[in-house]
Amino acid sequence: MNRLPKHELPIIPTANLVDIAILLIIFYMACSNFVSQQNAALNLPKAAGLEQLSEPLVLVTIDSQDTISLQGRTVAGAAEVESSVTELLKDKTTDEMRHVMFRCDAAVKRTVFEPVLNAIVQGGGIVVAVGDKTADAQ
Amino acid sequence: MYKFPKKKMLGQDAIPTTSLADMMFLLLIFFIMTTTLSRVTGIVSDMPSGTKAEQAQSEKTPMISLHDNKITVNDQEMSREGMERYLRGLNLAQRSGNAKVVILATEGDVNYQDYYQTMAFIQTCGGIVAIESEEGGPTK
Repeated sequence: MNRLPKHELPIIPTANLVDIAILLIIFYMACSNFVSQQNAALNLPKAAGLEQLSEPLVLVTIDSQDTISLQGRTVAGAAEVESSVTELLKDKTTDEMRHVMFRCDAAVKRTVFEPVLNAIVQGGGIVVAVGDKTADAQ
Repeated sequence: MYKFPKKKMLGQDAIPTTSLADMMFLLLIFFIMTTTLSRVTGIVSDMPSGTKAEQAQSEKTPMISLHDNKITVNDQEMSREGMERYLRGLNLAQRSGNAKVVILATEGDVNYQDYYQTMAFIQTCGGIVAIESEEGGPTK
């Protein structure tokens, strides 16, 4: 009978480990969405009946400090949002390409968010308002 | 002195793959750290917008107004449940074109949570939310 010599640990076969790693990499590459959002902690509004959406290329954020940012860059106000959105969407023809993600803190007052929403619309964007889905369906 | 010819080692021409595993694991860690598997949830709203004057012309368009602590629907004060009943009763999903439009106006210190909840409900009912801007400007 073939026995391992005394004091010798069994060898774990690691030859297939690379194959498994490659498969995992392919999986992650296929499923990845690179983080494009600002790291600012936002308390997103909650509502029922929200749908799952793909992430648009243009992102407008308003944080709890009323700071407006476009593509991660802080902007002065709604007028700048409108001009930037117009510029970013100038060659976009389909509705899907005109989607503008709007992330806004739930506590932000209407004097801050409404002009920005209006600016996106005037800039030719279709607002994709992000929120958290509540469990109760209304 | 006779020299023996060197024996060609087996696999000497092969590409060294010993470090491949390390590279693969580095890539794997990178993708694990940067991947977001969950998709965002929200509402897509192709909002038309207009001034108060323009919207006043279309008297039949339902108008929901959010105030500090109250909701008015066509200038009639209602609770949130009442507004939701009213919107369901409009059968917006069955309508077409401009008949789907609901004007959403705000006054006072309304926060985004209330606005968003109302906007989401109008969308759920099959309506199209129109923003009301107080001052004139280019209208879509």
